[in-house]
Amino acid sequence: MKSLLLKLEPIIWLLFGAGLSIGTMLLTGFVLIVGLAMPMGLVDAGALDYTRAYSLGSSLLGRLVLLGLIALPLWKGAHHLRSLSIDFRGGDRDGIVGGLLYAVAVCSVIGIVAVIRL
Amino acid sequence: MMAEEARTLTIEITRFDPDRDEVPKTQEYEIQVQDDWKVLDAINYIKDEVDPSLSHRWSCRMAVCGSCGMMLNGEPKLTCKTALSDYDSKLKIEPLANFPIVRDLVVDMDGFMEKFRKVKPWIVRAKERAEDMENLSEKGTFSQSPAQLASFKQFSMCINCLLCYAACPVIANEPEFIGPAAIALGHRYNLDTRDEGDGQRNAIFRGEGTVFSCSFANECSEVCPKNVDPAAAVNQAKLGAVVDWAKGLILPRGGA
Repeated sequence: MKSLLLKLEPIIWLLFGAGLSIGTMLLTGFVLIVGLAMPMGLVDAGALDYTRAYSLGSSLLGRLVLLGLIALPLWKGAHHLRSLSIDFRGGDRDGIVGGLLYAVAVCSVIGIVAVIRL
Repeated sequence: MMAEEARTLTIEITRFDPDRDEVPKTQEYEIQVQDDWKVLDAINYIKDEVDPSLSHRWSCRMAVCGSCGMMLNGEPKLTCKTALSDYDSKLKIEPLANFPIVRDLVVDMDGFMEKFRKVKPWIVRAKERAEDMENLSEKGTFSQSPAQLASFKQFSMCINCLLCYAACPVIANEPEFIGPAAIALGHRYNLDTRDEGDGQRNAIFRGEGTVFSCSFANECSEVCPKNVDPAAAVNQAKLGAVVDWAKGLILPRGGA
């Protein structure tokens, strides 16, 4: 498992980098708009009413964006937890812990996709 | 005149004699210091005037030789570059963290030297070429544009002071991690247009305990006294691995 992770390290890091950008920038902006700007009336609350949100989320592009918004931060979370495990002297267990965490992230994405039938 | 600028400072220094001590202990020195002293001046004063048994490394006194790196109140710094006036009341001087202590403030650098040699920090040519020799006699040595030089010059400013190793949280956990300075210097030669050894270095860079062990805490770049920015080198090396990996997907074997 450890050597497999080492081989996949470039793609693991690429997905992590993408998740980091999305998680820290896009999601923060999303929370700012939905959580602050809308309740404060800075943005028209009707901008994201049910029908508009539904049509956005059901177009192909909208679905792909949603998939990225869900999957990449989950991957980033798995990678952070793996780093945390190493920081707590889990270097010897890294292969199994890392593999498990990434598997959980992938399974979560598959589960979410299955539930909302993207 | 100088006496007016003098003040008393208590300095705590790590002491360790491998022949007598099981573990390092600390010793306090209360000395008269001048405002224009660097921390190294105070250590030299103690060594010369107070306690000749104190051991420490230093040489150039101008942040070039990289031998006087120590932990000052827990932060890795070059003692020749750090003003003593930055410390009002208490100063604790310890040997560089993440290295075995040899004696007092002197650490064992052998582990680093081994990692350093691994990345081949010199120009590697695929083979000695006839045109190399021709160039030498006709145009002088290999030509390189200012832009090509600028791409790696920053990484070549490393003085191997090892402050980045003392600051790196990954080194603290995994001493086998090849570390910031070794990657920055290997990367410096990978970027050099005269060099053809990137294949050999990348085989090291992409193995276990190397660039992908870095969790990008950026502490190495924070503490670097020469603004080398090793964290940038590590992440450029990561990106290089990603690009080669992607090329390997698209191009047939050997294309990358």
